[in-house]
Amino acid sequence: MSDFRLRELRAEKTVLDDQTVELNLPSKIGYERIAIGGLAAFAKSVGFSSPRIEDLKTSVAEACINAMQHGNKGKPDARVLIAFRFQENTLRISVSDEGDGMKTEPPDPDIERILENLDPPVGFGVFLMKRLMDKVEFNRTSNHRHEVRMMMQLTG
Amino acid sequence: MNQRPNEIKIESHGDIILLDIRGDVTAFSEPSLNSAYTSTKESSPKKIILRFEEASYINSGGIAVLIQVLAQTRRNNQKIGITGLSDHFKKIFNMVGITKFATIYPTLKDALSAMSAIS
Repeated sequence: MSDFRLRELRAEKTVLDDQTVELNLPSKIGYERIAIGGLAAFAKSVGFSSPRIEDLKTSVAEACINAMQHGNKGKPDARVLIAFRFQENTLRISVSDEGDGMKTEPPDPDIERILENLDPPVGFGVFLMKRLMDKVEFNRTSNHRHEVRMMMQLTG
Repeated sequence: MNQRPNEIKIESHGDIILLDIRGDVTAFSEPSLNSAYTSTKESSPKKIILRFEEASYINSGGIAVLIQVLAQTRRNNQKIGITGLSDHFKKIFNMVGITKFATIYPTLKDALSAMSAIS
């Protein structure tokens, strides 16, 4: 391979790497603000509109809070890993924790029942993620982590 | 990273009580919001306005706290107005159903004007 082609490939690799950001946070409520600050700057740089960036911020904050509270159960040494990657006009986000994940997805919260004290005021995080993002999946990863994968397309 | 505590000012505007909520609204807001709401009970207001800062961060924990306050206002037959929300959180409050039990107004002036007219 010529030096020129090698330099070209390295340059391509650099371009691809520029589209991926990874963060590693402690399981402490409040640190999700670091993730959403970084995500907002990244999403703006690749062309998302302000309203869509707000949707992203809420979705990722809720995924991080769930990972800290339910996945890692607030254990100080457990980490929340966040990765976002923009490719082919799509922003893909992964938020993972050290927990086992949910056995079943929580039902959508029913505010009428909550106000009547018939249901606890829970389930808003997953509900908002599903409503605000184009796609949300809950998976186990090969390294025994529980992962939320979310996707949003850049349109218009 | 610690959340700065909420500062909640309570003002009377005729028969309306205004809770002016400064700071982020999260699960950590529960004591300050509950305490502010409890302190309004002395005057038994029938109308309450919750004003937020447009730049505030509100998460699901904060929404849960607000809904618990709304549950109390419902039991006390109080009308609730909300103002100071960004367009994003107006959308979120609508999505989770808060707007079925509270009216969102664009400005405090609008909220005071509309709620004063409610008998």
